[in-house]
Amino acid sequence: MVIATKLGVLDPTVQPIPAHAVVAERPTTLDGKVVGLLANGKLNSEKLLTAISEVLADSYSFKTVVERNKGNASRPCPAPIIEEMAKECDVIITASGD
Amino acid sequence: MTGANLTSAILEFDEESEIAEEYLRRGWTDGLPITPPTPDRVLACLAAAGRSPSEIVGTEPTKGRVITAEKIAVNAVMAGCLPEYFPVIVTAVEAMCEPEFNLHAITASTMGAAVLTVVSGPIAKEIGINSGVSVFGPGHRANATIGRAIRLIIINATGSSSGEIDKATLGHPGKFSWCMAEADDVNPWEPMHATRGFDAGDSTVSIFAALSGTQVANHHAQAPEEILVSFRDAMFSVGPTQNELVAVLCPEHIGNIKAAGWSKAQVRQFLFETSQRSDADWRAAGEVVPPNTDGSSRMVPVASELDNITILVAGGAAGAFSSIIPLWGAGAGSQSVTKRVQG
Repeated sequence: MVIATKLGVLDPTVQPIPAHAVVAERPTTLDGKVVGLLANGKLNSEKLLTAISEVLADSYSFKTVVERNKGNASRPCPAPIIEEMAKECDVIITASGD
Repeated sequence: MTGANLTSAILEFDEESEIAEEYLRRGWTDGLPITPPTPDRVLACLAAAGRSPSEIVGTEPTKGRVITAEKIAVNAVMAGCLPEYFPVIVTAVEAMCEPEFNLHAITASTMGAAVLTVVSGPIAKEIGINSGVSVFGPGHRANATIGRAIRLIIINATGSSSGEIDKATLGHPGKFSWCMAEADDVNPWEPMHATRGFDAGDSTVSIFAALSGTQVANHHAQAPEEILVSFRDAMFSVGPTQNELVAVLCPEHIGNIKAAGWSKAQVRQFLFETSQRSDADWRAAGEVVPPNTDGSSRMVPVASELDNITILVAGGAAGAFSSIIPLWGAGAGSQSVTKRVQG
């Protein structure tokens, strides 16, 4: 009798670790809100954000606009910028504008 | 061996010929057939470096995936590595997980970088890493399979497979495998790891987020200044204000430079000083380089600082062909990392 032997080989993959993030509460209007514009450092990102904020300004009266640029598109936003904008802004819009 | 200490899921097959097909189908390869990663082979790899399977070698900084010695060994076996290559691969993974290398970005970006692995010091010869003829080409098992193992680790351990996270517009063939050694027998200067502050007797692994190289051909010149202008012209194609780039000097070019008594520092100084253009010339070449704020012209170098040019010596004895290798994101978004091989 021939007993078939299975060939065992190993899985090479590392599985992702699921993130448990909570989405921030969304405002019902942008009237009277502090709106942050966070450019990612690509050449046209500030132009794109300016255009978006101008379109939104036709419909809403912002309290103020805070403009920042994270500088390097391929690096995470520096923590001081995130902390500052999280403190000051009600809403943040970001764009890549490649 | 039973592989009792291994924790990876085991897939079972009736025929060996089914294994490579199934790994291809699952997207676990680079498109080429693999060596089946049996527990025995994986354990032999781990033993060669004295690593336990569960040892954490690194954590991919952006996605947080934890890479154990076992997963590195599984991929190394798949790539066709011999167990004695394993210490180099482990060191390369340690280097790739350093935040300044920015592994996620360089393996996701449309710019399509490869990981160029440069092994320097005694271990290169001990395990047979080629530094000579056809140094970037096929035919040398250590080079071919170490470079391939690193790519398979990127695919399987960090999830950067083509069309998923890897969105390279073109990429280049170095993404299959790109591993080399410095040619100690030809190099008239200190080895590259000594230039980077390691002891000359150390064995090190350096990784670079490397784009495709530009071949530098100059057969007629013998004076260093006349040879190096060809390098300068290749550097112009890389663009302005590079934070890092690599020049690989071949033995014929090195022979003439050595005969003239030039040091590595002199070569670097010459390349830095001559590869400068005015802002207007850069703009004419399609680059975004503004003049000074008062509108006056300024000279802008290819390498933003002298030390940003890494010089390597490698290649076959015949032929006056060197290479300029640009790095991803103008060398700013990703810094090369050098680590000493343990043990």
